[in-house]
Amino acid sequence: MPRERLRAIWALVSLNGLLPLRRQPLFLLNTLTSPFSFLFLIYVVSGGKLVADAVEGGMVLTVLSIGTSLQTDLTHYKQDLKFHEMAVASPVSAGTYVVGLALSEFVYSLPGMVIFVILSFFYAHYIFLGGLIVFGTLILIWIFASSLGFTLATYLADVRETFAVSPLISIGLTVIPPVYYPMSALAPWPWLQVAAQIAPTTWAANLVKGAMGLAPLSFAGGVEAVLILLASAGLLFLTAWKKAQWRES
Amino acid sequence: MTEVLVARKLGRRYRWRGGSNQALLDVDLSVPKGVVLGLLGRNGAGKTTFVRIAATSLMPTSGSLEVFGHDVVREADAVRERIAVIPQESRPFYWMSPTELVAYYLRMRGESTGAALRQAKETLEELELTRWKDTQVNRLSGGLRRRVMVAMVMASDAEFLFLDEPTTGLDPLARRSVWAAIRKAAKANRTVLLTTHYLDEAEALSDRLAILESGRLLASGTPREIAARVRHPYRVTLEGGFSEKELRALGQVTQVGAKTLLFTGEQEARELARVSLEKGTRISMGPVSLEDLFVQIVGKEISEEDEEVEASHAA
Repeated sequence: MPRERLRAIWALVSLNGLLPLRRQPLFLLNTLTSPFSFLFLIYVVSGGKLVADAVEGGMVLTVLSIGTSLQTDLTHYKQDLKFHEMAVASPVSAGTYVVGLALSEFVYSLPGMVIFVILSFFYAHYIFLGGLIVFGTLILIWIFASSLGFTLATYLADVRETFAVSPLISIGLTVIPPVYYPMSALAPWPWLQVAAQIAPTTWAANLVKGAMGLAPLSFAGGVEAVLILLASAGLLFLTAWKKAQWRES
Repeated sequence: MTEVLVARKLGRRYRWRGGSNQALLDVDLSVPKGVVLGLLGRNGAGKTTFVRIAATSLMPTSGSLEVFGHDVVREADAVRERIAVIPQESRPFYWMSPTELVAYYLRMRGESTGAALRQAKETLEELELTRWKDTQVNRLSGGLRRRVMVAMVMASDAEFLFLDEPTTGLDPLARRSVWAAIRKAAKANRTVLLTTHYLDEAEALSDRLAILESGRLLASGTPREIAARVRHPYRVTLEGGFSEKELRALGQVTQVGAKTLLFTGEQEARELARVSLEKGTRISMGPVSLEDLFVQIVGKEISEEDEEVEASHAA
């Protein structure tokens, strides 16, 4: 990767992640609130029984929130600050811009991730291979979420519209699918179990929980989940590549 | 002179459900290297659309536009290496200081940290922003924020700068510091495309002018060339001595308080000067200002359009 591209990525990570976080640490609360609220609710409702599932689900939601934050930031920079236009009229490529901003969102997620990883040591049967699987799964979810954010930002005319879309993403990808709780909790509603298979986050949660020894995961089941996640991330990445507009048509 | 921007029959139509708007139509325009081109026009004339197409942010719907010999549609990346833009109504990130904004913008463009910081310091000095260099932008006034935006692109190594209303909201002194920076850029053989509503600004800075109205290019060239194209290139101010009927026969008359303002031709102006001296009437005269030119060119276009509309209604 050329040095100029790395500098551009680092500049974007700094100006959208490190600097605002240093100036306004309250931004951190924004990314921590949702995952830890869910964790608390699951803990209370299940009497502590499902807390391990919720910890692993929290990791998935924390990474997924990158997509919704990215969507808001991209729309704000495009419609309000016109920074997007300044970036277009410069040597920065669309790919560099998105990777830079998507990594900058990761900065906000890091403290939450660290807490969830620490909690995992207490609740999950942590093994080295499992850790690698979790890491790979989260990378795929990051690509999926970032591509989703970039694509949606193309079609939103104002940052207020992102406030309407973000909760829908959250409900569709983390509340209804069994991310914070096991699939077995949906047993009374078989149609919901089937519908949950559409969400890539269901497969991500299966993989993470399986890798952590919280749910049974066969080799075939693991391969199937990885393939579905790869396909979802790849499809959304291609959609972003083709449909998201770097330049207005 | 090398032409760094060439537009041929450039057009842009915005479409939406149930409607469309032709923002630019058949615009032919060229800009030589190292000049400041003032792009003038009323609100909605198509200035920003032109800038956005040239700066590769917007696709044209007809015609073509080349920057540095590269087509902005097919070879946008080659264009982007050499340009920078301040979009209309752009704002800086509020959590950063002017130094950070300029330096990170330059780093985003691929500069090293050291070079970016050096360039940021120099440009902020040039734009008289040193006093606020480390102040968080949300504590700066609107005018200072706009100057920081100007500093960002001025500090870059771009050879062609697109400045879309860069001085809107600035006080007269702040505007002059931006003017100085634009002049310095032109001296360094950089090309500047400037859109502005301030005609004194365009007059003070532009080597060339282009006037847009309703998406069409009405006039382009040096201020002198444009002045030569209007019917009344002289501005005469009189205090009495002539009847309105006499003056109307010589050109376009406007009453400004006790004074009469007349736009007329060179011969008529000379004759008026001679007669005024004989009569002992107060008279002052000179070539028309850019504002006068703009009003004459755009005003004529609007009245012709109105006549066409009235004629079509009558038919």
